[in-house]
Amino acid sequence: MNRQSSSIEARILIAGFARGSALVLDDSLSFWGGFDPSNGEIIDVHHPQYQQLVGGRILCISESRGSAGTPGGIAETLRNGSGPAAFILGERDVNISVGTLVANRLYDLEVPVIEVSLSVMKQISSGDQLIIDRRGVMLFDAE
Amino acid sequence: MQLNALDQDRLDGKLGKAMQFAMETIVAAAHIDQADALIDISFAHIDACFYNGRAHLDFVNYMLEHGATLAVPSWTNNGLVSLNDLSVRDPLASREMHEARELMRAYVRLGCNPVWTCAPYQLPDRPGLGAHIVGSESNAVSFYNSVIGARTNKYGDYLDVCAAITGRVPFSKLHRDEARAAELLYDVSAIPKQIRANDLFYHLLGHIIGRRSAHLVPAIVGLAADCNEDDLKAISAAGSSSGSVPLFHAIGITPEAATLEIALQGRQPLRCIELTVNDLCQARNELGQNTDQALAGIALGTPHFSYTEFEHLVELLAGRSIRPELVFYLTTSRHVLQQVQLQGWAESLQQAGIRIITDTCTYFSPVVCGLQGKIMTNSAKWAYYAPGMLPVDPLIGSLQECVESAVSGEVVLDQWVVE
Repeated sequence: MNRQSSSIEARILIAGFARGSALVLDDSLSFWGGFDPSNGEIIDVHHPQYQQLVGGRILCISESRGSAGTPGGIAETLRNGSGPAAFILGERDVNISVGTLVANRLYDLEVPVIEVSLSVMKQISSGDQLIIDRRGVMLFDAE
Repeated sequence: MQLNALDQDRLDGKLGKAMQFAMETIVAAAHIDQADALIDISFAHIDACFYNGRAHLDFVNYMLEHGATLAVPSWTNNGLVSLNDLSVRDPLASREMHEARELMRAYVRLGCNPVWTCAPYQLPDRPGLGAHIVGSESNAVSFYNSVIGARTNKYGDYLDVCAAITGRVPFSKLHRDEARAAELLYDVSAIPKQIRANDLFYHLLGHIIGRRSAHLVPAIVGLAADCNEDDLKAISAAGSSSGSVPLFHAIGITPEAATLEIALQGRQPLRCIELTVNDLCQARNELGQNTDQALAGIALGTPHFSYTEFEHLVELLAGRSIRPELVFYLTTSRHVLQQVQLQGWAESLQQAGIRIITDTCTYFSPVVCGLQGKIMTNSAKWAYYAPGMLPVDPLIGSLQECVESAVSGEVVLDQWVVE
C-alpha cells in the first residue's frame, strides 16, 4: 500500500488541525500516575514506551486507563506546552477527550482528538509524518 | 441527541457561563459516548480537587468566577496534601503544595462536602442499589458499581465537576442494564481455601483481573461467602490499577449477581479462566521482588483504611512496637479516624510508631517524608503505582506480613505464594 498518498476519514471527537510525527503506544496508559504532565514523559515502569516524551507528537493510543486524573494530566501537559499535538485513539475515550476540550477552551488551543479503527491504527508506525485536518481526515504526510 | 428545554437553556448560556461550559462538556461527552439522552444523577464523588498542575486551578477558578453552584451532594476525593498535617510531604515542593491547598479550598467554596477520601463508600449515607451517580476515583467507581450496585461510569476530572454542576450525565455504558452483564468468568475454586482466606489473595486477584479482562465485565466464581467489603475494596482497587475494571460481579456476593445466570443476564460467558496458585505467584512477583535490600518502611491504607482494617491491625500488632528505624505510614479518612479515636486505637497505634495521615495518600509525589527504599505494602494499587512516582522498591504482603516485618525490622513472608 502506498501510504504516502493515503487518507483516512476518522471520527472526530474534538475537532482541530494538527501536523506532526506519530508516537504509537503499545499499551493503554494512565495520564495520572503513569505520566508526568510537567514534562510530558511516560513514567509507568510497566509501560512499553516508558521514558518516552509525548511533546509535539501525534499520540496514537488505544485508550487511557486507571485513575480519574487522566483529563487533568492531559490539560496540564497541554497548558505547559509539553503535550501532544493531537491524539489518535482506538476507542471513544471520554477522559482524553474531555481533558483536551477543557485545555482547548481555557487556553485557546486547537488540539484535535480523532478515533480510528484498529486496522487503521495498525497502519501507523512511530515516526510516520501525519496530518489531521478539521474535517477529521488523517493523511500520511508525503513531506 | 435531543435536549430538553432546560438542558438547551443551560447550553445556550441562559443560566450563566459556568453552567454553559459545564453543559458543553456534558454534551461533548454524550457525543463521544454516542449517547442519545441525558439522565439525572443523585450524587457525585469529585476527583478534580486532587492537584495535578495549574490547569486544575484554572478550571475551578473559571467555574467560581462565573457563578457555578452544585446541583447534587458532591463529596471530595483525596487531595494531594493533607489539610490537617502540612508536614507530611517534602517541603521542597512548596509551590505545588500551596497550590494543592488552594485547589482543595476552592472545591469547598464551590460547595463540596470535604470528606477528602478515596473510599467514600466507607462513610454513612452512601448511594444505594440502582442509584445513578458520578464516581471518579477508579477504585470507588468499581466499588460503587460492583459492591453497592449504584451505577456510574468512570468520570474523570472536569467531567465529574460538570456533572455535579448540571446534575446530568450521558445515559451510556454502565448506567444501562445491558452493559452490566458479566461476560468473562474467573473461577478461583481450585485455589486452596486457606489462601483464599488471606487478605493478600484479593489484591492479587484484582491485579490479575485488571491485567486480563480488557473491556469485558468479569464475574468471579468461588469467592468465600463471608468475604467482606475490605476484600472487595482490594479487588476494586487492584483491578482498576493494572487495568480498567469499573464493574465486576462476585457470584453469590455482590447485589447484581445472586446467581451466575443473573449476572450473565441469561447469556453465555465468552471465556472461563481457572486461576491457580501459580497465577497468584506471578501476580505477586509483578508487584515487587524481595531483594536483599534492607526494609525501610511500611505503607498501608490504599485505598483508605477502613474501621475493620484498623480493628485487624490492632489485633495483629497486639501491643508490640514498630522498629524505630522504619517509617510506617497509614492513610485513612477523617471520618474513619474519628471512629478509631473513639476506641482509643489511633493513640495506641501512634505510640507504637505508626503515623496516621488523613486527606491524602502516600504513593504519589511529592515524597512523603522518609518514604524511600524498600517499602512493604498490603495494597496492589500502591505497589503498582508507587515506583513510577517515588524512589521506592515496593514489596506486597498480607496485613499480617506487613505487621510482622514492621515489628522485626526485616521482611517476614509466609510460605504461601512465594516462589
